[in-house]
Amino acid sequence: MPQLESLKDAIAKALPELDVVIAWGRGLDALGATPLFITKPEDLDDMILGPSCVHNLATYLPGLRDRKVGIVVKGCDSRSVIELLQEGLADRDNLTVFGFACSGVVNVPRLRGAADRHPVQSMEHDSGQVRLQTDTGPVALPEAEALAAKCLTCTEPEALICDHFAGPHGTAERAAASGNPQGTLERLEAMDFESRFRFWEQEMSRCLRCYACRSACPLCVCQDHCAAQSRNPHWVTQEDTPREKLMFQAIHALHLAGRCTECGECERACPMDIPVLALKQALNREIHRLFDYRAGTDPQATPPLFHFKETEENIKERDW
Amino acid sequence: MATTLFIQRGDIAAWLADTAATHTVYAPLRDKTGVHFHRLCAQDAAAQTQALELDRQAQTPPKNVLLPACETLLEFSYAKQEDGSTSLDVQPVMPQGAVLLFGPRPCDARAFTVFDRVYDAGRGKDPYYTARRAATVVASVVCTRPEQSCFCTAVGGAPDDTEGSDILFTPVQDGFIVRPLTQAGEAVLRHPLFTEAAHREEEAADVCAAARAAVPCAPADFTAAPEPVAALFDDMEFWQSVTAKCLSCGACTYLCPTCYCFNITDESNGLEGRRLRTWDNCMSFQFTLEGSGHNPRPTKAHRYRNRIGHKFSYYPRIHDGALSCVGCGRCISSCPVTMDIRRIVHSAMQRAQCATPEQAHE
Amino acid sequence: MNSPQDNLYLPYMATIQEVVTETPAIKTFRVRLNDPAAMDNFQFEPGQVGQLSVFGAGESTFVINSPPTRKEYLQFSVMKVGELTGKLHSLRAGDQIGVRAPLGNAFPYRQMQGKDIVFIGGGIGMAPLRTLLLYMLDNRGDYGKITLLYGARSPADMAFSYELPQWLERDDMHTVLTVDNPADEWPHRVGLIPNILKEMNPSPQNAVAVTCGPPIMIKFTIQALHELGFADEQIITTLEKRMKCGVGICGRCNIGTEYVCQDGPVFSYAQLKKLPNEL
Repeated sequence: MPQLESLKDAIAKALPELDVVIAWGRGLDALGATPLFITKPEDLDDMILGPSCVHNLATYLPGLRDRKVGIVVKGCDSRSVIELLQEGLADRDNLTVFGFACSGVVNVPRLRGAADRHPVQSMEHDSGQVRLQTDTGPVALPEAEALAAKCLTCTEPEALICDHFAGPHGTAERAAASGNPQGTLERLEAMDFESRFRFWEQEMSRCLRCYACRSACPLCVCQDHCAAQSRNPHWVTQEDTPREKLMFQAIHALHLAGRCTECGECERACPMDIPVLALKQALNREIHRLFDYRAGTDPQATPPLFHFKETEENIKERDW
Repeated sequence: MATTLFIQRGDIAAWLADTAATHTVYAPLRDKTGVHFHRLCAQDAAAQTQALELDRQAQTPPKNVLLPACETLLEFSYAKQEDGSTSLDVQPVMPQGAVLLFGPRPCDARAFTVFDRVYDAGRGKDPYYTARRAATVVASVVCTRPEQSCFCTAVGGAPDDTEGSDILFTPVQDGFIVRPLTQAGEAVLRHPLFTEAAHREEEAADVCAAARAAVPCAPADFTAAPEPVAALFDDMEFWQSVTAKCLSCGACTYLCPTCYCFNITDESNGLEGRRLRTWDNCMSFQFTLEGSGHNPRPTKAHRYRNRIGHKFSYYPRIHDGALSCVGCGRCISSCPVTMDIRRIVHSAMQRAQCATPEQAHE
Repeated sequence: MNSPQDNLYLPYMATIQEVVTETPAIKTFRVRLNDPAAMDNFQFEPGQVGQLSVFGAGESTFVINSPPTRKEYLQFSVMKVGELTGKLHSLRAGDQIGVRAPLGNAFPYRQMQGKDIVFIGGGIGMAPLRTLLLYMLDNRGDYGKITLLYGARSPADMAFSYELPQWLERDDMHTVLTVDNPADEWPHRVGLIPNILKEMNPSPQNAVAVTCGPPIMIKFTIQALHELGFADEQIITTLEKRMKCGVGICGRCNIGTEYVCQDGPVFSYAQLKKLPNEL
C-alpha cells in the first residue's frame, strides 16, 4: 500500500526528534482499528492505514501538550487540529502533522452487523463498494451504507494542515454524492416539536451517562470538571431521567458551538448508539448562519464566541 | 431437584407473557440499535417477544435488574413547624415485587455472584440489593455463539456455567432443554408449556461441550493474575504505556457486568428530596478526589491500574481467588479505542514474570 | 428495613445539642440521637468514625471524637472545605442531622495497655487523638506515661483550645503545644512538630506513638519517630479518604485490598508499608 509505506518512511525519519507519533494499528480484526502510539522504529510495523481508521487522534493532543508529538490525520481530523491550534490548546511548534489522501472510513457497528459479528479477515473499499471477508464468506455493501455518514458529504478528504503528505494529492476516491441516506438532523427537522421531544426522550432514556461522548471529543475542555457532575453550581442532578441527560447534552453542545468540527467521535464513541452529533450540527449551522464561520478551517481565525464585536454583520439588533 | 424439562422455541413467548402477570419480566430484545434487556409489559408481551434474541450476547448486561443505574435509597422532607422549628422526616424506599430475568448469558449471571460476595456479606448486608436478589429468578441461556472478544473460560467461567443462575436453558434444534438449579427456579417453571425431558440431558451436554470449544482462545489463564498484577503496582511506566490510548471515559465501567462501584448523592427540590445511589466510575477523576483537593489517583494511568488491580488482584485476594471479571468482553467491544483487557492483563503477567530472573517464561 | 440496624444506609436521626467554634474553619458539633434507647445503647470504640448527613447536601465522614466513656453526647469536629461541611457549619443547636455510626475500626487500645503513649497531633488531626486520649485518661490505671504533642500553624488554628489549659495542668500527662511561627502572647513552643518531637526525645521503650494530621506532617513525624527508634509496629495513624457507603461496598476508598472504611481508618505504619503506595 503505497500511501502507508510513504507515511512510514516520513514517520521513521521524523521519529528521532519526536516523543511519540500517534497513528492507527490493527484492533480486534480487519474491521476494527485502534490508536497506535509509536515511540520506537519497530512500532511502525504495527501501523495500518485504511477504511478502518475511524478514530480522530487529535483528541490526544491536549493531554500531550508539552511533548513533541506527531499525528496522522484524515481531512476531518485535521480540522480538529486546526481548532485546537486556534484556541491555543496545542502548540504548532510541538506538532508534526502527517496527512494522506483519505477515501473515507466505515461505519463499524453497521459493518459488524452486516458481518453478523463474525471476525473480519480483510476489508477493501473501491469502486463504490466495501467488501469484507469473514469466517463464513464475503460480504459486500454499497458505499452509501458502509461508510460513515460524514464521509458521504466530505469536502476535505486531505489534511488542511500538514507537514508531510503521503501523496499524491487529489487521488482520494470520493464517495458518490447521490443517494445519501437522511441524516439525523434532516429527520428531526421534518418532525414537529412534539415528535422531536419524544425522539430525544426515547434516545436519552437509553443513555448511561458514561460520558464517552465527552471523553472522545477533542474540543471538550472541561472534562474532569464537567457541569454534569458539579454540585456547585448544581446544573444537573444525578437522576437517571431523560431530562437530566438531555440537559447535559445541551450544555455540551452549547460549549461546542462554533468549535465542534463534526468529526463525529461523540456519536461513534457512544456505546448505546445515540445520535448526539445532531445537536452539535444544529448549533454549528446557527453559528455558520450568524457568523459565516466553520470551525477548524483557518489556523489564524478566532472562533466567533471567543471575541466580541460591537457591530455584527449578520445580527441586526436595531432592526428588531 | 426437579427433572430436566423441555420447551419449544415458539412457546417461550407465551411462557414469558404468562409469567409477566405475577413477575416483572426482563428479556433480551433486538431493537434498532442492537440487543438489550427490556422490561416486558404483560399486555404487550406477545408483540415485544417477537424481537426476542437468545442466540447472541446482549450488548448491555442486565446489571440494572439487581443494581439499578439510579435508585432512591431514602426520601426526606423538611417541614416548618408552628413553633418555628424545622422537622425532618426520612423514609427508606425498598424495592418491591418478584422479577424474572430471562436470557442472560452465564457470564452475566456469574457476575451476580461477584456482587453477592460484596453486597450480601457478613458485616454489611445491603438491604436494597439483597431484597432484589431474593426476589429475582435468573434464567440463563447457554452461550453457543461467543463474540470475538469473549474470554469467559480464562477467568474461571464457561458458556454453560451455572453460578449465579436459578435455571439454565440449553438451546437445541427445536427448543431449549431446561435445567432448574434452585427452588426459586423450579417455581417459575411450573407451567404447562414445559415437558419432561430427562432423556435429552445428553443432548444438552453435547451442546454445552461444543459451546466450551467455541470460546476464543485467551492469551493466558487469568486466574493466575492476582500476584503478578500486585507486583506491578509501582511500575508506572507499564501503566502509562498501556493506557496511552485510553480516553478515561466510562463506557467499559457502565457496560461491565461486574462493575459495582456507586455514588451516593442527595438531590432536593425545595423542602423535599431523595438520597440516590447511582453507578459510579473509578475511571473518572472525581472518584477519589478528596475535600482537601488531594487525589490519590490523579491520572488515567493510576485509575486504570486500580481498575485492573481491583478486578484481577484485590477482589480475588479478598474472595478466595474469585476474579471480578467474567470475560464477557463488552469492555473491549464497547471501548471507543478498543482497549483490550486480555492483552493488558497478559502483558502484566509476562512483565511481572520477567522481573523475577529465576522464572523462565515461554 | 426501617431502622438503622437493618438498613446500612439509613442514618440515626439526631439533634444538635451545641455548636462550638474552634477556629475560623473548624466547628465542633455535640449531638444526641433522637431515639433515647438508641442513644443509651449506642456502642463505639475510640477511633471509629461516623457519616454525618445533612439531607439535601449529602454525607461526610468524621471521627467520633468524644470517648465512649463520656456518652452525654457524640462529638464530631468539622473543618469547612466544601458543600456538606459548609452546610454543617450553618447549622445550630436544635437542628436535625443524620448519623451513620459507628463505622471503621478502632485504635488498638487494648493492645496499648501497660505502655507509654505518645500522641502527636497536627491541626484538625487532634480530633481522632482526642477520643483515644480521653478514653485513656478515663482508664488511667491501664496505661503508662501519656505524652501529648499538639501543633498548629498558629494559636488561632488550634482546636479544643478550651481544653488545652486543663491538659497542660494535669499531672498524669505531659503536654507540649507548638505553633509553626512565633505569635504574640504565645507562651508555649515555637517550631514544626517533627523538630519539637525530636527535642522532646520520647523513649520508644515499651511505647506506642499515635499520630494524625495533614499528610506532610504525618510523613515527617513518622521520619522523626524512626530516628527516635520507634519501630513501624509502634506507630499508629488514622487515614482520611473519600468515603461514600462507609461499609466497604461502594468500592471507592480502597488502598489495594484494604478498604479504609472497614479495615481502617486506623492503621499501624507496619500495615501501611505493606499496602500499595496510593495514599
